[in-house]
Amino acid sequence: MSTTTAPPAPERPLPTPTRESRPYWDGLREHRLMLQHCAACGKVRHYPRPVCPHCFSMESAFKEAPLGGKVHAWTVCHHPFDFFFKQATPYIVALVDMDAGVRINAPLRNVAEGDLEIGRRLRLAFEPVGKDITLPYFVADQGG
Amino acid sequence: MTHPLRDKAAVSGIGETAYTRGTSKSALALQLEASLAAIADAGLSPRDIDGVVPYFPGGGIAEDFIANLGLPDLTLSAFVPMGGATCVAALQMAAMAVATGVCKNVLIAVGRTGYSGARVSTRLQQFPQFALAAEFEAPIGMFAPAQLYAQGARRHMELYGTTPRHFAEVAVTMRRHAILNGNVVMNKPLSVEEHHASRMISDPFRLFDCSLESDGGAAVIVSAADTARSLKQPLVTIMGVAEGHPESPASIAQRPDLLEFGLVKAAARAFPMAGVGPKDMDVAEIYDCFTFTVLRQLEILGFCKTGEGGPFVMDGRIGLGGELPINTHGGLLSQGHVVGLNHVIELVRQLRGAAGKAQIEDAEMGLVTGYGDMGDGSLAIMRRAA
Repeated sequence: MSTTTAPPAPERPLPTPTRESRPYWDGLREHRLMLQHCAACGKVRHYPRPVCPHCFSMESAFKEAPLGGKVHAWTVCHHPFDFFFKQATPYIVALVDMDAGVRINAPLRNVAEGDLEIGRRLRLAFEPVGKDITLPYFVADQGG
Repeated sequence: MTHPLRDKAAVSGIGETAYTRGTSKSALALQLEASLAAIADAGLSPRDIDGVVPYFPGGGIAEDFIANLGLPDLTLSAFVPMGGATCVAALQMAAMAVATGVCKNVLIAVGRTGYSGARVSTRLQQFPQFALAAEFEAPIGMFAPAQLYAQGARRHMELYGTTPRHFAEVAVTMRRHAILNGNVVMNKPLSVEEHHASRMISDPFRLFDCSLESDGGAAVIVSAADTARSLKQPLVTIMGVAEGHPESPASIAQRPDLLEFGLVKAAARAFPMAGVGPKDMDVAEIYDCFTFTVLRQLEILGFCKTGEGGPFVMDGRIGLGGELPINTHGGLLSQGHVVGLNHVIELVRQLRGAAGKAQIEDAEMGLVTGYGDMGDGSLAIMRRAA
């Protein structure tokens, strides 16, 4: 039987920005890492949320942060769990302690798993995946 | 001062369905089948149930239990939405209800079609507690607990020298225990070599490091200890029970320490409440969503120091006849996945002296953990009462 139609290509799962997270996603679209800082005590927080867990202020501002950081942990994804990522497997997802003081989880490109170790420096990069959404990924930090 | 809940509640009934891969029954039907088995085990009638704490989401809600079991006067209905930590944390809620007289007999029940129904990759989108993971992690290719927990396992390996051989020992031991049990999904022996050769899921987790996707139901009844004493089964009381939530509960990635989760807090409450320590345990049923999580929980519970979970499980120590037999039923890794209520059931069975070929001689006291929802934890310590 050759009359069956091919299934549609799997779509990339995309974030739905919220009132809290919109500035973060807008920042990525502009190739900037925008992190939420408490307007009262100044502490940085991620993922975005309405209240500062340190001083309970509801006032906050997003500020541009540096793109460098150090490897905290990683995994190499062999089983995709979502068909969209099947073609990309195996892919590394690095968890990075950003110099700005938060942690970011994103795919790592152009670095071999054997070259990874805790503390290795990486730098955040930007991949536009649609008109509104740009996703983060990591590359080696040329500075170190 | 003795904690007001210590030994005030007992698990008076236990029930399970067959654990399978492939069922024509709904999650609700499996849940009710297990519930009826637990009610019969306790020597009760469905009419005696006045509290229900069903696993959610999946299976039924209080209304389904009233409609199907004809419950005449339900005085407590509640959810404990803590993923894999739900069932043991539900023991705390049930114990409070029976100790205060709000309820006489509370039913905790799970029904799950983890193999025949929605699989793990689609479930992330359905849970409100995973909204952050769905927004920030799924788009970059991190969906499943196997991926999210793998980063913690990798860090443990890098910091402490934990190895795949240590992981394999957990998987192989659980399988050995499952084969003794009979009502299991995985009933063929597993070797260390087969573990190492199994396909990589999310490095360092291989297929045999991950718990099963399976179908089945399980249920327990919690009654006041004084009531349970006059019921059908040997008295097994809850000495200490607690739940704990980690910092950054909805995102492992943002947790200050990936390896510090809710069980830390639960253990700090449940052991003092019970008035005993890790050394007093004859058996431990440890939530084994992954092989690695067993190692880390042993460290948190105080059976060994942080970083020593790997060496601790070696040399037969966690097998039958070992110093601390673990998951004598086969666990989630080999028996079946009913979010850990099977661990509770196995502990009760051991303390009743009714665990068949897996029975630990003179088992008087043991513990059971729950672990889930990105790091929530729960712990119950039980004993066979005189």
